[in-house]
Amino acid sequence: MKIKSLGELPQDIAPTRDLWPQIAAQIAPSAHPTRLAVTKMTPAAARTARLRWFAAAAALACLAIGMWIDRSLLPLRTTNEGAALSVSTATPSAPASLDVAYVSDPRYQRQRAALLKTLQAQLNTLPPVTRTKVLASLATIGKAKKDLEDALGKDPGNALLQELLVNTYQDEMRVLTDVHSASNAGEGI
Amino acid sequence: MTQVQAQHTQIDWEAGLVVRASGGDARAFERIYREHSGRVYGLCLRMTRDPQIAEDCTQETFINAWKALARFETRSSLGTWLHRIAVNACLAKRRKGAREEPLPDDEDGGGADWTLETPVEVREIEAAIDALPDGARDALVLHALYGYSHDEAAQMLGLAEGTCKAQLHRARRLLRDRLGMGVGTA
Repeated sequence: MKIKSLGELPQDIAPTRDLWPQIAAQIAPSAHPTRLAVTKMTPAAARTARLRWFAAAAALACLAIGMWIDRSLLPLRTTNEGAALSVSTATPSAPASLDVAYVSDPRYQRQRAALLKTLQAQLNTLPPVTRTKVLASLATIGKAKKDLEDALGKDPGNALLQELLVNTYQDEMRVLTDVHSASNAGEGI
Repeated sequence: MTQVQAQHTQIDWEAGLVVRASGGDARAFERIYREHSGRVYGLCLRMTRDPQIAEDCTQETFINAWKALARFETRSSLGTWLHRIAVNACLAKRRKGAREEPLPDDEDGGGADWTLETPVEVREIEAAIDALPDGARDALVLHALYGYSHDEAAQMLGLAEGTCKAQLHRARRLLRDRLGMGVGTA
C-alpha cells in the first residue's frame, strides 16, 4: 500500500503477543495504586492530600453528627401524630454513577428505591420532633454525599473518599431502614 | 438536593474506567490496556525499532500507569498521558546507549502534515524512518505520525522546543536523502 503523507501511517500496531497476563501479574494487590501514590508524593501533592484529608474528615464529622441525631431519636417514637411534611429537600439523591460495588448492586438499588417510595408516608407517622430530626439527618447525609462526590470528582482515585462515600450510602440506608421499622412498629401498636 | 447525578454524567466511560482502576479494579485497567495497547506499542516500536524491547516498554508503560493512576487528572487525555509514560520508558531503555550529537536550536521543523512528493510504499517509508538516528526519529514519530505539537513532543522527550524542531529538520533532510524525494509540509 502506498501513502502520500507520514500522517497516514498506522498509529495502532498490535503486539505480537498478549502482554496483559504479565502486566496483570505485576499489578497484583501489593502494587495498589492509591497506596503507592501516598509514598511517592511531591511536597505540592502532599499539601493537596492534606487538604483532601481535612475535607474528608469534615464530611465524616458532619455524618457522625447526623447519625448521632438519628440514632438518639428514632427509638423515642410513641405516637402517630403529625401532619404531612414535605421531604423534597431532604430525600436522598439517586446513587451516583460511580461504579462502587455496594452502590451499584441491584439489590441495594431496589431496596433503596422501595424505601424512598414509602419514606414520605412513613415520616408522616412519626412525631413532629422526630420527623424533623430524621429529615435533618438525611439532609446531613445528603450534604456529606455531595461533598464526597465533589472531592472524588477532583481526586477520583482517593481510596479514603471512595470508602467514605460507600459508608455514607450505608448510613443513609440505615436511616431509611430505621424509619421504615419505626413506622411499621407504630402501626402494630 | 444534590447535583451528583448531573456531575457524573459529564464523566465519560474512560474516566469511569480510570476511577475504577485507580480504586484497584484490575478488570477496568485491563479494558484501558485493551483500548490503548496498540497505540502505545506502535509508539514504542517506532522509538525502539525492536519488537521485544517495544513489548517490554509497553508492559512497563502500563505497569507504571497503574502505579500512577491516582495522580492522573481525568480532564486530560488518557492516551496522551500513556504516551508520555511510554516515551519515558523508551528513553530509559535507551539511556545506556551512546549520546546523540548535539544539534543547534531554533531550526524550523515544519508543520504537522508531512507530505511526500509521490506516494511511497508503507514498508519503504517505515524502513526509512527506522534508519533515522534516535533523536530525529523520536521527534518525527511524535510530531509527524502521532500529531503532537512541537511543544508537546519536546516536553515528552525532555528537550527544548528549538532542539525538537532541529531534530525534525534533520529527520526531513535524512528522509529526503533516503527516499530520493522532497518531504514537505502542508
